Amino acid sequence: MASSRTPAIMKQGRLTPWLYLLPALIVMSIYILYPMINTIGLSLKDANSKGSAATTCIEGQPCWGILENYRYALMHEINTTSAKTTWDSFWLSSYGNQIKWLLVMVSGTVGIGLLFAVLVDRIKQEALAKSIIFMPMAISFVGAGVIWKFVYAYGSSKIQIGFLNVIITGLGGKPVTFLSEVPLNTFMLIIVGIWMWTGFCMTMLSSAIKAIPEEVIEAARIDGANETKIFFNVMVPIISPTIVVVLTTMVINVLKLFDIVYVMTGGNFSTDVIATRMYTEMYKNFQTGRGTAIAVILILIILPFIYMNVKRFMAQEEMR
Amino acid sequence: MQKGKKFVWPILSVVIVIAMLLGACAAPTVAPTQAPVVEPTKAPVVEPTKAPVVEPTKAPVVEPTKAPATVGDIVCTDVKAGDTISMLYQWSGLEEENLNKILASFVKACGVTINAESSRDQALLDTRVKGGNPPDVTFWQTTQLSQYKDQLKSLDAMGIKLDNYADFWKTMGTVDGKMMGLPVKADIKTIIWYSPKGFEAAGYKVPTTWDELDALVEKMVADGKIPWSMGTESGDATGWTSTDFVQDILLVKQGPQYVKDVISGKVPYNDVGVKDAYQIYGKWAMGDKYTVGGAKGTVSTGFNDAILKVFGPNPEAMMVKQSGFAQGTILGTYADLKYGTDFDFFGVPGAQGLQGGSDWMMAFSDKPAVKALFAFLASEAGGKAWADAGFDLTPNKAGAAAFKDPALAKRADILNNAKDFTPDIGDSIPGGFGSAEFKGITNYVNGGDLDQALKSIADAQATALKK
Repeated sequence: MASSRTPAIMKQGRLTPWLYLLPALIVMSIYILYPMINTIGLSLKDANSKGSAATTCIEGQPCWGILENYRYALMHEINTTSAKTTWDSFWLSSYGNQIKWLLVMVSGTVGIGLLFAVLVDRIKQEALAKSIIFMPMAISFVGAGVIWKFVYAYGSSKIQIGFLNVIITGLGGKPVTFLSEVPLNTFMLIIVGIWMWTGFCMTMLSSAIKAIPEEVIEAARIDGANETKIFFNVMVPIISPTIVVVLTTMVINVLKLFDIVYVMTGGNFSTDVIATRMYTEMYKNFQTGRGTAIAVILILIILPFIYMNVKRFMAQEEMR
Repeated sequence: MQKGKKFVWPILSVVIVIAMLLGACAAPTVAPTQAPVVEPTKAPVVEPTKAPVVEPTKAPVVEPTKAPATVGDIVCTDVKAGDTISMLYQWSGLEEENLNKILASFVKACGVTINAESSRDQALLDTRVKGGNPPDVTFWQTTQLSQYKDQLKSLDAMGIKLDNYADFWKTMGTVDGKMMGLPVKADIKTIIWYSPKGFEAAGYKVPTTWDELDALVEKMVADGKIPWSMGTESGDATGWTSTDFVQDILLVKQGPQYVKDVISGKVPYNDVGVKDAYQIYGKWAMGDKYTVGGAKGTVSTGFNDAILKVFGPNPEAMMVKQSGFAQGTILGTYADLKYGTDFDFFGVPGAQGLQGGSDWMMAFSDKPAVKALFAFLASEAGGKAWADAGFDLTPNKAGAAAFKDPALAKRADILNNAKDFTPDIGDSIPGGFGSAEFKGITNYVNGGDLDQALKSIADAQATALKK
């Protein structure tokens, strides 16, 4: 009965949901979909985006036809003379470095962030401690890169101005070229990344920990669980959805990482990651085809993580 | 409240979408800074009578006054007062002021108006040329001479005389048998900076041959002094000072033709001559006794710091090879130092040609005003005007005596006595060769394998030069 009184204008037609979606769809297609399709198209062409990528093949050298840019993107850094050179060159290539970044930085930020989140929960100056750890997030990556460049600076003469090298030489050691010593340099750059992002992970995890009902912890204590057990068997399972979200977010962040490497070493001394290599091909070498091919590969690597992240997020929303 | 919120968001998003669409549709305004270069100086009307503009409606009775064909040394054949020349160049700020200073006498004498745009974006020039709307005149690099050979007006057709130019400039500017542009500005990299006081105190003489330089370096090492300051760190361009040094060694050991053959691809980059040059460079750049900090110092010291290590109260090295800009770096930190006594430079001894950059003036139009401008800059007056402004060096030999800055005058002297001139190898090969070269030489100095470094650069060379 009531429905018949509803004015026609307030009834939902078939098109109404689409109408609401329209703005988002338009924005998505202009700014995400179209560039993505165009990027894939460009990655199959030569440097001038005119001829097919196959025309850039050189006689007598391996060629993947229209996928030539992908061959370059994937194989160029790899020296396939023998199994050993293949592995060595891969481990120092942008892909090998990306794996180092993923392993060390993601585990570092999430691990240390979790540790801090648990620890600061128990002290009086929680807000102060948290803001100190969170502070590097407020600095731009470029700024952080410049700051850490000074921390790692190597004075070629007797005078050291780099923070670390001053300490090392002060203790009687030999100064170290942190940024050009392979493979130490990549790990030194990863430390900068950890320094910047730990605060983010800590904040996310800390709020999850705070949401754990006090009764659960109390109950565990009464049952005789010690603090370590409570942490691993009670807290971690409860906050595991948040941990997964933080993990995938960090994975995506690390895959997109560019600034730190670009500012501190410019990709020299085998510190390139996928994003810096893409930049070099695109904007320094003007090899549009190769640059976009690397971009497509990067998208393909990131996609599953975005999917996981969204799925998790939706599951979490449903629970609420 | 809930209701209100529900309505706000769709409306807001629609507004945002519309704004974005409008933004996307609006013409992508490339912002070529409309540089009001030269005041639109009106032609020097013979009689400076009262302002001719009385009423805009009344057409001027007198026909546009023809500027005198010759004013002083400046020839303005067929140029009408008020003629305009549109220009596009990369210079801005102080550089632009310098150019204005140089052109001032021409603008005044011929009564032309220059409409200039300044942009470092080569894509802008490219779009204009391809779109059939090029500027009358552009100042750009050597590569554009051949890139736009079909659109450019040749100097031969415009009747521009090149008596004031060395033959190598003519070779460089000739495409398909025609001179496509006028070299107007140059700077040289084939020079070594040192402290005359430091040399004197140690009893060293400026070397005049490569062997003397080699002997001097060994003597310095034997004396416990560090001969070179080699720092090459320069962010993502780290390595360019190294490749400059190698090119100078090539100019000494192999000569300019060899360098040109590397640029054209006739000589592969992993040729034995290049390898030889790398080894000579590597011995110095990686030796603890030859350069400040050895290999580690070379890859981690900034190129500007490297310059400063040779001068100041506690110099750490005796010499640094760097372009003309080193003078500004030295004076920027040690303002009290005097050119000629505290710091000075000499050409790389034994070099059979120079390495450096050059800017070329090119014409897309051959109207009288453009012809007159070319004739002016190619003339004695033009050379002198350029030198007088001190806008780097001028390939126009007539300017030699007009440099006010003694250091510029000395560099001009080296340039004017040069047998040949080669552009930077890395800049001359497109498509990723430059960054491959930087990376390769940096890896080599950092302890990498030389053959592998050269091979990777040679691969980039082959790919880039594949027609």
